[in-house]
Amino acid sequence: MVLLVLGSALIILTATGQETPISLETAKELGRVKSRFLKEAKEVAKASDVVPKANVAFFHESVGPLLKQSCLACHGPQKSKGRLRIDQLNPDLLTGPDVERWREVFNALSKSEMPPKDEPDYALADADRGRIVDWLSGELNTASIIRRNSKEHSSFRRLTNYEYNYALQDLLGLPYALPNKLPPETASEDGFKNSSDLLQMSAMQFETYREIGLKALKRATVSGERPQAVTYVISMQEEMDKAMSGKGTKAAEKGKKKDKKLRNQQQLVHRETGDSIEFSVGKIQPRPKAVAGQTPAVSPVVLVLPRSNEVKLDLDRFLPDEGIMRVRIRAGRSTNKPDEYASLRLILSAHTSNNANFSQVISERDIPITASADNPQFIHFDIPLSDIQRNPFRKLTTAFPRRDEFLHIHNVSNATGGEEPLQVLIDYIEISAPFYEQWPPKTHTDIFIASANKGDEQIYGREVLNRFLKRVWRRPVTTQEVDEFMALFAKYRPGFPTFEDAMVEVLATALASPEFLYLTQRVTTNETKSPARITELELASRLSMFLWASIPDDGLLKLAEQGKLSAPEVLGAQVKRMLADPRSRRFSQNFVEGWLGLDRMNSVTHVSDTALRAAMLEEPIAFFDEVLRRNRSIMDFVHSDYAVVNERLAAHYRIPKVYGPHFRSVSIAPQTNRGGVLTSAAIMTMNSDGKDSNPLKRGVWMLKRILDDPPPPPPPNVPEVDLTNPEILKMTLKERIADHRNKPACISCHARIDPWGIAFENYDALGVFRTSIKNQPVDATSVLFNRQTLAGIDGLKRYLLTDRQDQFARAMVHKLTAYALGRPLSFADRADIDALTAQFRRRDDSLGNLVNLIVSSHIFNSK
Amino acid sequence: MNDKSIQLSRRTFLRGSGVALALPWLETFAAIGKSKDETPKRFVSIYHPDGVGLPLKSDPAWKDWSWFPRGGEKDFELTKVLDVLEPLRGDITIYSGLSHPAARRVHGHSNADQYLTGAPIGGEGPYQNTISLDQVYAEHAGDFTRHSSLVMSTNGGVGGPRGAQTQSFNREGRPIPAMNKPKQIFDLLFVTNGKDAAERLARSKSALDLLIDNTRSLGRQLSKQDQQTLKQYLDAVRDTELKLAKAQKWIDTPIPQVDTRNLHLEAEPKEARLFFQTMYELIYLAFLSDSTRVATFQLGRENGEGPHDLLSLAVGLGGAHGLTHEVKKPGGWQNLGTYNRYQAEAFGRFVQRLKDTPEPNGKGSMLDNTLAMHGSASSSFHLSRNYPIISAGGRNLGFTNGRYLKFGKGNEDNQAGAGIASDAGWTSKMEVEELPLAKLFVTILQRLGVERDSFGGHTGTLARV
Repeated sequence: MVLLVLGSALIILTATGQETPISLETAKELGRVKSRFLKEAKEVAKASDVVPKANVAFFHESVGPLLKQSCLACHGPQKSKGRLRIDQLNPDLLTGPDVERWREVFNALSKSEMPPKDEPDYALADADRGRIVDWLSGELNTASIIRRNSKEHSSFRRLTNYEYNYALQDLLGLPYALPNKLPPETASEDGFKNSSDLLQMSAMQFETYREIGLKALKRATVSGERPQAVTYVISMQEEMDKAMSGKGTKAAEKGKKKDKKLRNQQQLVHRETGDSIEFSVGKIQPRPKAVAGQTPAVSPVVLVLPRSNEVKLDLDRFLPDEGIMRVRIRAGRSTNKPDEYASLRLILSAHTSNNANFSQVISERDIPITASADNPQFIHFDIPLSDIQRNPFRKLTTAFPRRDEFLHIHNVSNATGGEEPLQVLIDYIEISAPFYEQWPPKTHTDIFIASANKGDEQIYGREVLNRFLKRVWRRPVTTQEVDEFMALFAKYRPGFPTFEDAMVEVLATALASPEFLYLTQRVTTNETKSPARITELELASRLSMFLWASIPDDGLLKLAEQGKLSAPEVLGAQVKRMLADPRSRRFSQNFVEGWLGLDRMNSVTHVSDTALRAAMLEEPIAFFDEVLRRNRSIMDFVHSDYAVVNERLAAHYRIPKVYGPHFRSVSIAPQTNRGGVLTSAAIMTMNSDGKDSNPLKRGVWMLKRILDDPPPPPPPNVPEVDLTNPEILKMTLKERIADHRNKPACISCHARIDPWGIAFENYDALGVFRTSIKNQPVDATSVLFNRQTLAGIDGLKRYLLTDRQDQFARAMVHKLTAYALGRPLSFADRADIDALTAQFRRRDDSLGNLVNLIVSSHIFNSK
Repeated sequence: MNDKSIQLSRRTFLRGSGVALALPWLETFAAIGKSKDETPKRFVSIYHPDGVGLPLKSDPAWKDWSWFPRGGEKDFELTKVLDVLEPLRGDITIYSGLSHPAARRVHGHSNADQYLTGAPIGGEGPYQNTISLDQVYAEHAGDFTRHSSLVMSTNGGVGGPRGAQTQSFNREGRPIPAMNKPKQIFDLLFVTNGKDAAERLARSKSALDLLIDNTRSLGRQLSKQDQQTLKQYLDAVRDTELKLAKAQKWIDTPIPQVDTRNLHLEAEPKEARLFFQTMYELIYLAFLSDSTRVATFQLGRENGEGPHDLLSLAVGLGGAHGLTHEVKKPGGWQNLGTYNRYQAEAFGRFVQRLKDTPEPNGKGSMLDNTLAMHGSASSSFHLSRNYPIISAGGRNLGFTNGRYLKFGKGNEDNQAGAGIASDAGWTSKMEVEELPLAKLFVTILQRLGVERDSFGGHTGTLARV
C-alpha cells in the first residue's frame, strides 16, 4: 500500500487502485506534519527595549508585486470587492493605520480562500502564497509586540457570580451553595462570563452582596447552647414487630405465601424467616430522647425497595426551620450484578389542600448503594432546610391547610426484572435536624478561633479579624486595616448581646469589600518595564481563579507570602496539586460551558427526558475532564476513538454495555459515529430548531467555538425564507439553504457558514445519527468556500485534522488563555498566543501541558 | 385559627411583612434620585377566590345570576350580581375574554398564585413563580413613599405553593407575606416609631464609610484604567448611601395623622362587614396619606375552609367555597351571585370613597389617579379562563370607563364553560379564543408611567382599553 499525500486529497490509493479515505487517526498524524508552528523556529516573544522597525523593503521587493498580480484586478482601482483596495494599504504594519485590514488579508490568504479557485488567471503559486503569508505573519507579530505595551485590557475585575459563590463556600467551609440572587451575567465574544470588561457593579448588586455575605456568616457561625435536635428513627425490625403483634398478623401470613406479585412491591421482609408484610407507616413522631448517629445491630428485617419505588415518610410538622437535616440510611443491594446499579434520592413534598401541592428533589445528587445486603452500610444526605421549599403551614395551630411534610426515599435504578431483581434493602433510617458534626461546628471555630485571649474582646477581636481579613483579601493585612474594622466593631458592639453577634456583622462588611469582590493587581512603585510582572500573591489568586474558580487556599497563600510560588518547580507542583483537588472540576465545568456555549441548552425545549438532558449537558464537561486528567491531545476534541458517556447517554448513542449514572471513557467502533465533542448530543441539540437540525446554527457554532473565526453578524435586511412559496416547501432542507444562499445578499456569508453545518446533517435534532430524512437518504456533503469538499462528518473531521490543526490548536490556546486571564485577548496578545501555540504543539497538543504552559507563560504572569 | 394562624414575631414582621418598608436592604429597588412626582399614580388589586356564577342560558338563573353583563360596550346591562355598581357605571370597566395562557389548564384551586403573575406554575412538582404586576409598579413607585407597597389578605402570610394567601410576588418570584390583622396594619402604617430601623441604618452608614475608605486606599494603588473599573464599585456604594439617606428621611418624617372613625381594628373575617370595611378603609387611608401607592388585597384563599371562608356570612350564607360547589342545588346560583354581589358592593363603596375625595396634591378626585382592579382567576367552577374583571377609576391615567369590553372570539355570550360543576369542566379543551391578561397588565403599567412593553413573556398592550 502506497501512502500518497496529494495536497488535501485525503485518500489512500490502494494497490488495486480503489480509493478509500484515510483513517481519522492517520489524518491526525498527517495534519501534524503540516503544522506551521512546528516548522518555524519561532522565538518566544519578548517585550524589547529596542523598538522594532517595519520590514517595508521586503514588501516592495517581493510581496507587493505578487499582490499586484493576483489581487489587484478585484481589489484595486477597477473593482474594490469587499471595499478592499490592496494598492492603498500602508505596508508599514507597525505605525501604519491598516493593521486590521492586513489581518483580513492574512486570514484570507492563509486559509486559501483567496484568490478564488475559479479564477485561474490570478492563482497564487504555493511558494508565493507562503512568501506573503510569512511576511505578513512576521509583521503582524512585531506589531503585536509593540502594541502590548499599551495594555488594552486589564485582568482587574469583579468575581463572577459562580466564583463569588465558590469563594464564599471555600472561605466559610460551607458544604453547599447558598441561594444566589445576584443578577445574571453575560458571556463575552469568546463565550466566557469571567471577562473583565463585562463584569459590572450596581447598587442593587452591592446590596445583594451585603445580604448574602451576612446570611452566609450566620450560617457558618452559631451562638448559645447546642440546639436540641429533632430526631426520627425508623427501625424496620420495630415496624415489623408492631405489625405482627397487632392486627397486622393476617397480612404477614399472607406474605408468607411468598406471593410472586409481592416481588416488585415495597414491603417489609424478614430475611431469615421469609415473613413479609406490606409496609405502611403513619405519621412518624420524633423521638425526644434519640441521639443521632447510632449504629444498631443489623436487623434481619428490611424494607425492600424495588426499582422506581419510594418510601414516603410523613414527618408531621416538626422539622426545624433552619440547619442541616441529616438523613442516614443503612442499605444494601439484594443482588450484585455489576451491570446494575441502584441509588437513592430524596424528595420533599406537601399536600396542603386539594390541588395545592408541591414536591421537590432535595438531594443534590443520587447516592449509589454499593454494599451487599448481608453487610449493609450507612449512606447519608445533608440537606440545608432553609434553602428548600417547605410547607408554609407547618406552624399552624389548626389542622387545615394540612401541615405535614413528607420525605420520600426513592430508588433510582436500572434494575431489570427477572427472578431476582436488584432491590435496595433498608433496615434503619434516621433523620435528624439541626445536625452538627461537632459543637461548635468547625465553620464556627474557623472564624472564632481558639485563643487564650477570648476573654479580652479587644485583643481577641483583632485576632479574629486578622485571620479572617487575610483570607478574605488573599494577602497579609496591616495593623491599621485591622484598626479600622475594630473601630466599626466598637460602634456595633452596644447594639448586640454577644461579641460574636456584633463581630459577624463586622465580618459581613469585609465580605462586601472591594478586595474580596475584585481580583486586584496593584501598581508597584518600581515599575519600569511594562507590562510588569504580577506579584506572588496576585499569582496565587489568578491561579486559584483559573483552576478552582475560587480564592486561594492557605497553602497557596503561604507559598506566595514566602515568595516561592512562581519558582517553576513549585508552580508545577502546585498546578498538579490543584488539578488533583476536587475543586478543579469547577474549571472543567465553567471553561467548557463558556467555550462550547452550553448555556444555549437552557433554551432548548424539545428534550423532555430530564435524565437525558442532564447527561447531554454533562458529556462535554466529562469529556474535557478526561482529556485534561489523562493529558491527552486536544485533537481528541475533534475526533477520538472513545466516548465519555453514562448509561442514559450510551443508550441514546446506541453504545452497548454501559451501566450506571456515572460518566466514564469507553472505546467505540467507527460505526457508532461518535468521538470528540463536535457531534455530542448537546451540541447537536442546542444547534437545532426544535424539530430538525439547523445547519446554519451548527456552521456558526463551528466557526465561532472550534475555529475561533466567528462570522460577521447577519446584515440588517436579511430576506426571510418564504415558506408560503410552494416551490420552496417542496425542497429539502439542504436545497432550501442553498436557495437562500444563492441570493446575492446572503451568498458571501453563507458560503462560509453553511458547508460546515451541512456536514452534520447525519445528526438529528437530538444528535441521533440517521441515514435518511423522510425516506430520503441524508445528503451531508458540502463544499467549503475554498472548494474543499466535506463528505459528511467524517469528511469534516478529516479535513480539520489534516489541514486545520494549527487553527484549532491556536483557537484552543486563545480560548483557554482568555479564560485563564479573565479578560478578552486583543491584537496585542497575538505574539504571546502564537508563541504559546508553538510551544504547545511541540508538547504534543496535550491539554494538561497547555495548562502548565499558560500558567508559566509571560502573559499569565503579567499585569 | 384566625388569631393563631400566622404567628410572626414583631421583628420578623417588620423585616418581611406585607408593608414593605422603604428601608434597606432589598425591600425596594426603586431608582435613586427620582423626585417625588406631582400627583401620585396608584394601583390596587382586589382578588376574590372561587370565581363567579356562570349558569347556562337555558338555566332559569341565567337571567339574574350570571355575573357578566349583557349587551354591548356602552349599552351593557348589569345583572343582579353587579347591579350594585350601577351608580358607578361611568367609573368602571368590565372585561371578558381575558386569561393567563399558562393558567388555562390549571385547577381553580391553584390559580390564585398566578392572577397577578401569569407564571407557568403547573399543577404539581417543583414550584416557581415570577414577579407580580403590583410589585413591578412598586419597584417603580415605591421610592416615592414610606412604604413601597401594602400587601393584605384575609388569611395572611404567604399560603402554600399553589395555595397562595398573598397576591404579591417579588422579583425572584417569592411570595411577599400578606398582613391580615387590621390593628397590625394600622400600627405599621400610622404608629411605628422606627427605632430598630434607625439603629440598623446607623450601622449601615458606618459600614459604608469604612468600605469607601477602603476603596479609596485600594484605588490609589491601581493603574488609571483599573481605577475606572473600581469607580463603578464606589458609585454603587454611594448610591446605597443615598438610599440610606432617603430611608433616614422617612424615619425623620412624622407619621401622618389620619381619621380613624371608620376603622374597626379588632374586626375579624367572620365579622365580614366590619372587616371588609376596615381593610378597605386602611387602603384608602394609606393612599390618602400617600404612605404607599400600591396595594393588593386577597379575600380568602382558593379551596377555602375555616373561619376565613366565612366572609359570606355577611349575606347570611356559609362557606364561600362551598357556594361554588352547590350551584346546582336549589337557589345555588342565587347564593353564589348574592355573595359576588356583596363583594362588588364592598368594592363599590371603596371606589365611591375615592371618588368623593379630592386629590390632595393634584387634579380631580383620588379615583381619577387610581386604578382599582377587582377580579378572580376563575370564572366558572374551577375553570381558569375568562376571568371576571372589573376596573375602576384612572381617568387621569388615561382610562375611559363606562364600558363592557369583550375580548377574544367565539365566547361573546360567555357560555364556554358555563354551568359546569365537575372537574371535567376545567380540564376540557379550550374551544374559544381568549387574549392574554398580561396585555392588560402592560397597558396598566404604561399608564402608571412604567416604561415596559411586555409582561410575563407577552408583548404589547390591549387594544380598546
